[in-house]
Amino acid sequence: MLELLNSLFIAPFDYGFMQRALVAGLALSLAAPALGVFLMLRGMSLIGDAMAHAILPGVALGFLMAGFSLPAMSLGGILSGLLVAGLAGSVSHMSGHREDSAMASFFLISLAGGVMLVSLGGSSVDLTHVLFGSILAVDSTALVLIAAISSLIVVVLAIVFRALVVECLDPLFLRGQGMAGGLVHGIFLGLVVLNLTAGFQTLGTLMAVGLMMLPATTARFWSKRLEGLIGLGILIAMLSTSGGLLLSYHLELPSGPSIILLAGTCYVLSALLGRHNSLLDKLRRRDAPLVARDAD
Amino acid sequence: MARLALRDLSLAQGGRTVLEHVEGQFPDGAITALIGPNGAGKSTLVQGIMGLLKPSRGHIDCSVPRERRAWLPQQLALDLSFPMSVEELVMTGTWPSHGALKDYCGPHYLKAREVMARLGISHLAHRPLGELSGGQRQRALFGRTLMQEAELLLLDEPFANVDIETIEVLTGVLREMARQGTTILVVLHDLDQLTRLADDVLWLADGHAQWSTTQAVIDHRQRSLQSMPPLKPTHPTDAPHARTAK
Repeated sequence: MLELLNSLFIAPFDYGFMQRALVAGLALSLAAPALGVFLMLRGMSLIGDAMAHAILPGVALGFLMAGFSLPAMSLGGILSGLLVAGLAGSVSHMSGHREDSAMASFFLISLAGGVMLVSLGGSSVDLTHVLFGSILAVDSTALVLIAAISSLIVVVLAIVFRALVVECLDPLFLRGQGMAGGLVHGIFLGLVVLNLTAGFQTLGTLMAVGLMMLPATTARFWSKRLEGLIGLGILIAMLSTSGGLLLSYHLELPSGPSIILLAGTCYVLSALLGRHNSLLDKLRRRDAPLVARDAD
Repeated sequence: MARLALRDLSLAQGGRTVLEHVEGQFPDGAITALIGPNGAGKSTLVQGIMGLLKPSRGHIDCSVPRERRAWLPQQLALDLSFPMSVEELVMTGTWPSHGALKDYCGPHYLKAREVMARLGISHLAHRPLGELSGGQRQRALFGRTLMQEAELLLLDEPFANVDIETIEVLTGVLREMARQGTTILVVLHDLDQLTRLADDVLWLADGHAQWSTTQAVIDHRQRSLQSMPPLKPTHPTDAPHARTAK
């Protein structure tokens, strides 16, 4: 029995590449879900997706200039992500249009530009690598970079946490208190870009969003408190990462999709069986008799 | 001299002048109602006073420091589905003294408890905002404002979607704050609440403002009610000072 458990869960991590993949995945799991929870609560669930496309041209440029070097590609990704976030913010401020329309326009331009750059300078294999990542190819440099970015995100998020909460509820409160409008929002988007840049090596630019959003949206079926959402999100992300890696090892599946599909399975199960507002919860409530709640 | 005064103030929104040549002082320790038809510039004036909108002409003299100015927007402008409890919301009112980083400490929690007791929401302290009724939410938002220890308080339609009992509690709280010297401005639509709450009235219409007293507004309304067919509603724009206002 012990032997079976060992061969299922422990032995795969005897390999160096599996160890690095696990550590990278766990580091990302600590940082990403909290950002996802705030994106979700601000009604910006799809902004993460847009930002993921926005980092592509920078990653491609880094790749063209320095070859397959994670620091160069990450730096490019961060810069182009921040540029798109800044441009989208400025255009929406100038025009008065909602930020998501400007964001949609810029991320599409970025996506096309990025794919164009990769195709001009590399092969389709490179493109797949950038788009879908390969967590099993994480080397020590990449690991340090991922861990450093994740730690930075956690620390900065802790510093702006209260401001972020206050701003989510009442955006004008902080401006009334003299804080520059959009400062907190800008820092927050910067963190999202950082996180996606750390994630693209492991899961690819497109699926890095998955580790951010799916744990957050899943947690919503289980908790109504902010700390609960973040804590559960981290737990779900960690389980999905380790589970996904094991699945991909044993069944010879691609690792990135395994991780995200596992998180996706958690989401679907939670939507059906979760504690709050799931299908099961709705059915149960319909059958329950009226309970006298304290009068409103 | 009053803490808040408007000097030949003009305000514009998106290139369109909304208010022109507004003059006057808001008396300290009094409740002034801002009334007028939709689009008359009530919210624009509030934004100007909060420093969110630069005057296109003239200026706003306000000797109250920024962190002692509080603004309670309409409930609709707030995302009250955010997972936050009543107590947590009330505690965010400590922002002027605590900012983003300083830890909340015992005395502040005690004060928050006092505030909640005064507003009759102690039993809801740990309930999420999303589960509250309109009136309970408004009480919780007042709690945040009370924690701010504001010297200047601006409220936008504080009694919209709020039950009568809550209106009474909140009216009492506002009266008490005014007695202690807080300058209060309230955007109101309902003239019945005007009688109960306001000392003075600033009437906005057609880009201009007219100062008045609550009694004068009520008297005028009585007269216009008597002179009109019973079913026709009265509008603030029917008032003579709204038309003659300069």
